[in-house]
Amino acid sequence: MDTPVIDFHAHLGNWARHAMRGDLERYVDIMDRAGIDKACVNCIFLGDARAANDVVAEFVARQPDRFIPVAFVTPHYPNETIPELERAFSQLGMKYLKIYPDYFRKPNDDPAYFPIYEWLNERGLAVMSHPSYPFDRPGTTVKGKFTALSERFPNVKWVLAHAGGSGNTETLEAARDLPNVYLETCGSTAPFGAIEKGVRIAGAGRMLFGTDMALLDARQALGKVVTADISHSDKRQILGLNAIELLGLDK
Amino acid sequence: MGNVDSDFKPSVPVLDSNMSLGRRHDKPVNVDSVEGVRSEMERAGIGRGLVYAPHAAIFDSGEGNRTLVETIRSSDKLLPQFVCNPSFDDLSEFAAHVDSEGVRSVRMFPGLHNYPFRPWVIGPWLDWLAETGIPVWLPVEFELIGPIPSTNPVDPRDIYDTLSQRPEIKAVLSEAKYGDSSWALPLVRSLPNLDFEVSRFVPGGGITSAVEAIGPERVLFGSRFPDSAISPQLFSLHHSDLSKDALQAICAGNAERLLGIG
Repeated sequence: MDTPVIDFHAHLGNWARHAMRGDLERYVDIMDRAGIDKACVNCIFLGDARAANDVVAEFVARQPDRFIPVAFVTPHYPNETIPELERAFSQLGMKYLKIYPDYFRKPNDDPAYFPIYEWLNERGLAVMSHPSYPFDRPGTTVKGKFTALSERFPNVKWVLAHAGGSGNTETLEAARDLPNVYLETCGSTAPFGAIEKGVRIAGAGRMLFGTDMALLDARQALGKVVTADISHSDKRQILGLNAIELLGLDK
Repeated sequence: MGNVDSDFKPSVPVLDSNMSLGRRHDKPVNVDSVEGVRSEMERAGIGRGLVYAPHAAIFDSGEGNRTLVETIRSSDKLLPQFVCNPSFDDLSEFAAHVDSEGVRSVRMFPGLHNYPFRPWVIGPWLDWLAETGIPVWLPVEFELIGPIPSTNPVDPRDIYDTLSQRPEIKAVLSEAKYGDSSWALPLVRSLPNLDFEVSRFVPGGGITSAVEAIGPERVLFGSRFPDSAISPQLFSLHHSDLSKDALQAICAGNAERLLGIG
């Protein structure tokens, strides 16, 4: 099946605890073996967002035909956030924003993010984060959280990392019912029937193929979508067509 | 534009060395019948599966093993693997059951069953494994949902100490995760009698790392079906630049050799 394959979720940097190595040659080798055309890469391991975004820009510059740069900012340094967003998107050509609330200890509906979301909202850009956290406010639901965020920031595209491959009904229903919520598919497990369930509930148009490379192996991640019991048309949407449309990439 | 193998089927015979069959009390099971398992195996293009009973792991090995063999008796595609709990089961009864049913492998859950994998707890069972040549699968953990959700991890130090003292025992480290990378490959590299099942081993380049560490002759394909889908890790194996011989060994040959079947 000839179709564009775009990995929406890949990380740069080393994470020694998990034997993760962010070598460009390693990424390209695995992408070639798997059949992945391009990977959206972020760097979330540095407390200095400017330094992290420079890592991404330098990496992408070495092989711009295979990688798409993704921005990162941290709410811990609010005075730096908006200038860095301006730089990342205007000068470095970043295509969407990745935030990592798990390590910020602030859930993604914390007001600390609102200036960031407002900036994205004015430009109709996407942001990806995990959908929920152990430190969410009591009683928070994924749908409730993203309903409120979508109403306040209607032009932002919300990408829920891992949610497309989890089979979590509540999260899938949130994507079904909210116009700007998307579900990325990667994860360290391949729950039986999860991709099929995502297509059934949220629709293939809301799902984005991702790998978590180089933490996880891109081939297993691709295999989850490729071997799912869904139509070729659905696979093509998930594997790349949705990302092209969401990020405004050349076809 | 990528050329994706969207109609992927394995190119070699496959024996899935990590499947389970039967309902659980703590969560609904995705596929809980022989017919359902066979249907999914057919869709994935695999010929045989090694199955254990979750009930045997969680509550009662004897009851779970008996139910399992009755359930799959009519299916030659499903091979029974018995669960044992050396801190609870009677070894002679268990051994007789294994013998009468022609079972060729067992599975121990030291973490779940709350005992150290040490000779002072399981000494007679180690002797039995050595005498019979029956291999033992050792899952890294077993996740339970309940009032106190738990993963019940095994202690790798126990595995190293015990199996290094008993090189005649054949064992398989099963369900190591990407987060176990720092010790799992060094462990299997250190123990020639410990093979490696890869159902959950998905760190970047994980298959290549495993093959480089211990050779393709000690790596086993498993899926962890029905919790997990059968095909994704098979897809990964088929896109890891393995030779045909290596792929055949990992997908079926190594398990066949351990189980003593052709």
